[in-house]
This record gives sequence, structure tokens and C-alpha cells, in this order.
Amino acid sequence: MESGRPIFIPVILGTTRKGRMSEHVANFMAREIAKQENVRTALIDIRNIPFPTDDAGEHIKDAGFSETAMKADAFVIVAPEYNHGYPGFLKHALDTNLKEYIHKAVGICGVSAGPFGGTRVIENLLPVMRELGLVAIFWDVNFSAVQNAFDEKGKLLDEAYVKRAEKFIKELVWMAKVLRYGRENVELS
Amino acid sequence: MPKKKMICPRCGAEMNNHAEKISYETAEGNRNPDAVFGGVVDEIHTCPGCANVESRAAG
Repeated sequence: MESGRPIFIPVILGTTRKGRMSEHVANFMAREIAKQENVRTALIDIRNIPFPTDDAGEHIKDAGFSETAMKADAFVIVAPEYNHGYPGFLKHALDTNLKEYIHKAVGICGVSAGPFGGTRVIENLLPVMRELGLVAIFWDVNFSAVQNAFDEKGKLLDEAYVKRAEKFIKELVWMAKVLRYGRENVELS
Repeated sequence: MPKKKMICPRCGAEMNNHAEKISYETAEGNRNPDAVFGGVVDEIHTCPGCANVESRAAG
């Protein structure tokens, strides 16, 4: 039986770099999520969270970020691929929570200027997701040559991404509903 | 003996224990590591009333 409470899926914009094209991707994904019935979203821009850099982990929790993570049923992570890996500051931000993530769904959007759409950053993030207790879905959205996918104001230039995002979001919402039911009703035996 | 249910400090509802998670962080060193697992094992509880999440040491 489904709870009437809306499913909440924040989008984490996983880079602080100036001129980041991932911002257009994150905004696009948030707009697409908001189209879903009984689903809410919010954009978490890690650039706006004042994490210290002289410590790491749960000791430097940001109250607002942790509260949003706790309320979330699932996450979308928008991760650009930098030198085949994920942005260090994304990992720094993710590592500040743990119990807030456990048994929640996650989907990853890879972003790259090249042709591979962030496939390598997604593969690199998957073991991190697992250790954080997140459950990764099997749909990704790969934004290849992202500079051609959006104009400078963030307008989508390639409509194929709408259908790709829709498949991804539907799977993520299903997983979010199932895991919410489990978190709230299925006891660890 | 069944474990005592955690009560949500936010809304007072009975919470559901749905996970246990081990931590090996050195900063957890002030807590007693589990002799079998070598780290600190925490229970994770979610509130069906308000979705609050709490943890406590596994007994």
C-alpha cells in the first residue's frame, strides 16, 4: 500500500567548478522530476553548502543538507567526469551523512564534454553509493558532449534527453516507493 | 528477548529498525568496537510517521 506522502527526490549538483555545464543538467533533471505526480524535488548545489575543508566526514555535517537528506526518499546525483573520476568536493559533501542515506534510492547522471557521457564517473561512484547505504538504479542518464546539449542559458537543445530522463525517473520513483515501504515497515530480522 | 522499539523523538511514533551498519572510522574509537566485526555496529531506525531517521548502538 502506498503512502499518500509525496516522494521527495532532491537533485545534487555535484560540482563547484566555475562555468559548470552540470548546472544546466541539474536544473533540467529537477524540472523533469517536478512533472511527476506526487513527487517533489529540490536542487542541492554543493557550492552553496559551507563545508570546512580542514576536516571531513560526519563531524562536519551541515544541518540543512542533512535535514534535506533525511527527508529524501531518493537522490539524483549529477556528476561531471573530471579526469575520469568524480569531483572531490562531491565526495566531501556526500561523506558528511550516513544514516540519512541508508536504504534510499539513487540515480546518477553522468556529464562530460566528450563522447562517453560520464560513464566512467558513474562506474566510479557506484561503490561509494553502496558503502553509503544507497541503492543504485540500473538506469543512468549520460550527457555526452554536454556543451551541445544545452545553450548558454540552459535551454535543452536535444529533446532525446526528455525521454531518457523519463525512463530514469520512473525507475527511480518505483525504487523510492519500495524502499520507503521497507524502511518504514519491514523490520530487520 | 525482543529489542525495545525506538520511539521517534520528533513525533512519538514507534520507529522501524531496518538496517545495521558497521563503521570503522577511527574517530569512533571512543566507542567499544564489536569483538566479532572489529568496528562499531549501529542500528538504523526510520519513523513511519514523519520519516525521521535515528541510530543507536546495536545490542
